[in-house]
Amino acid sequence: FMSKLALRVAGSSALSREDLQPALDDMQRKLMERNVAEEIAAQVCDSVAKSLVGKALSSFTGVRAFVLRAFEDSLSGILNKRAVDVLHDVQRQRAKGRPYVVVFCGVNGVGKSTNLAKIAYWLGQHGLKVQLAACDTFRAGAVEQLKTHAMRLGVPLYERGYEKDPAKVAAEAIRVAERDGRDVVLVDTAGRMQDNEPLMRALSSLIHVNAPNLVLFVGEALVGNDAVDQLVKFNRALHDLAPTGATRAHMIDGIVLTKFDTIDDKVGAALSMVYASGAPVMFVGCGQTYVDLKKLNVRSVVRALLQ
Amino acid sequence: MVLNELGRGITSALASMANAMVIDEAALDECLKEICKALLQSDVNVKLVAAMRSNVKKRVNVEELAAGLNKRKIIEKAVFDEICAMLDGGGDGDEKKAAAKDGASGSYGVRKGKPHVVMFVGLQGSGKTTTCTKYAYWHKKKGWKPALVCADTFRAGAFDQLKQNATKAQIPFYGSYEETDPAVIAQQGVELFRREGRDLIIVDTSGRHKQEAALFEEMRQVAEAVKPDLAVFVMDGSIGQAAFDQAKAFKESVEVGAVIVTKLDGHAKGGGALSAVAATKSPVIFYGTGRGHQEVFMLLEAYKHYAKYATQALKAANIP
Ligand SMILES: Nc1nc2c(ncn2[C@@H]2O[C@H](COP(=O)(O)OP(=O)(O)OP(=O)(O)O)[C@@H](O)[C@H]2O)c(=O)[nH]1
Ligand SMILES: Nc1nc2c(ncn2[C@@H]2O[C@H](COP(=O)(O)OP(=O)(O)OP(=O)(O)O)[C@@H](O)[C@H]2O)c(=O)[nH]1
Ligand SMILES: [Mg+2]
Ligand SMILES: [Mg+2]
Repeated sequence: FMSKLALRVAGSSALSREDLQPALDDMQRKLMERNVAEEIAAQVCDSVAKSLVGKALSSFTGVRAFVLRAFEDSLSGILNKRAVDVLHDVQRQRAKGRPYVVVFCGVNGVGKSTNLAKIAYWLGQHGLKVQLAACDTFRAGAVEQLKTHAMRLGVPLYERGYEKDPAKVAAEAIRVAERDGRDVVLVDTAGRMQDNEPLMRALSSLIHVNAPNLVLFVGEALVGNDAVDQLVKFNRALHDLAPTGATRAHMIDGIVLTKFDTIDDKVGAALSMVYASGAPVMFVGCGQTYVDLKKLNVRSVVRALLQ
Repeated sequence: MVLNELGRGITSALASMANAMVIDEAALDECLKEICKALLQSDVNVKLVAAMRSNVKKRVNVEELAAGLNKRKIIEKAVFDEICAMLDGGGDGDEKKAAAKDGASGSYGVRKGKPHVVMFVGLQGSGKTTTCTKYAYWHKKKGWKPALVCADTFRAGAFDQLKQNATKAQIPFYGSYEETDPAVIAQQGVELFRREGRDLIIVDTSGRHKQEAALFEEMRQVAEAVKPDLAVFVMDGSIGQAAFDQAKAFKESVEVGAVIVTKLDGHAKGGGALSAVAATKSPVIFYGTGRGHQEVFMLLEAYKHYAKYATQALKAANIP
């Protein structure tokens, strides 16, 4: 009898877009308050709406609770992207007798060099022999910054000072690392704005020439709507500006989300970045010391977004 | 660049209302929705946007407006007043007057004839160190005798960065590889340059954020040591919703008197920084558009700028 009743009630309450709209509007506002880019918040709401229209509401849940559940599922789905297993891939590369090369890129001041150093520390903790490559040959103090980290971490640094071609410095660094039997080379690059074509072209060529195993995009959790543009344009540049004759463009493999300790519950940039690029968040920077590196906790991000 | 896109969005929202046959509650709602979207896409704080919307709705009661009145104009005026009020940051009259006077005299926070200590503060990586040199260089061209003090003892390579920048721009600098207390270095540097008769002593500090109380305490200690005439809050133009709270916390900890928005050569629309202006109730005195110290360091005085932007938008919307 109970199930019959439930069926009847449910059957009679197929949801329409109008039923959902107030709850959707609330959700969109909440997402934007939590720093999800406007465009992404709107798209997420729209796709949740599409999946719910016509669905029957069980008699025991209200529209809002129903919508909330759908958002939880949708956001978890977006954020749960499969990432490469770096430690595993480093071992595979090691079996081939070659170092595993990681290139860090992103706009200015987001935390590329600092989080590169944290990742070097993390790799060291796993018994791997790391080498740093100072390929930001532009910004004042960039080489000394890396030198300081290399010294503190006790890992070698390959540098050629300033005003050198960063792609060449990277190539030399990789050669040296291979000669010295290092397991991993971490390549620091200069910050650049996604609209700066000459600099984006240079990055694309650095990546093409050096064929890294992993390209990490570093983005700060503080960034607003620009997050989308950054990811889209870095990927596009890597694709479109690859030197002619390039066999395969190497796009962004993963995201390093930095300054996660500065945003309280405004965690939306994580969603914007992943949604815009399809790449997973592989590391989360949550402070200014070497141990401040975490994996993304999808559940707690989703909770912060919807709370 | 900054605000242009926002201005266009608002103008087109108003224009679409102008095309509506009847102006009723629905038309107003539609127009406000478009305006809010433009503001949100530019990273303006969601709460400020919501307040703007409800203030406009409170001011204009469409149904009650007498038939003879021009509803369109009343709505447009209300929208612009509220947006200007929002961007003004609701600073009180005196603060606004002082800022306007600075703007008019072209001194942007410092007045020639008296030595000044200017301290730069802000979040990590916002552009403080780069902007310090730009600021020094700009003033040097105007006949000031600037000097730079590196009170960032935390970030790896911070002193080298400032040193290399200062050397390129030929500006004297002070710093230390050994001393670890930024307040001590700041004090020593300021004293040294005072003795040398420098009239614009610029103190660069480490990046920090409100969640770490110890870092804010350190900033207060540096401020205590050098007693700055002006504290400049440097903010990345691409910052999102976290801008307001962070800026407010800085303001509550040191007396922020001016804001500099950086990295506007990128794609950022700068609305997050506008929210910071609202939070600090301080004018934007410059904005950064590049990584070198010689790049056109564009000058912007918030109130003049907003006023100009508002008049342009008003003109485009055909309002006297
Ligand atoms: N609070 C916090 N600060 C961070 C984090 N990661 C980096 N930072 C700080 O951000 C600032 C900039 O970091 P960098 O590593 O120099 O950034 P970058 O991207 O290499 O900068 P450029 O090379 O100049 O483009 C420094 O003050 C770092 O200490 C983080 O996870 N949390
Ligand atoms: N494109 C562009 N880059 C800028 C601008 N201002 C600063 N930068 C870059 O942003 C990055 C960070 O700048 P810094 O001056 O080191 O920032 P900071 O606030 O001193 O950083 P911390 O001391 O680590 O907190 C550097 O790569 C600068 O070259 C700007 O107006 N445009
Ligand atoms: Mg760097
Ligand atoms: Mg600095």
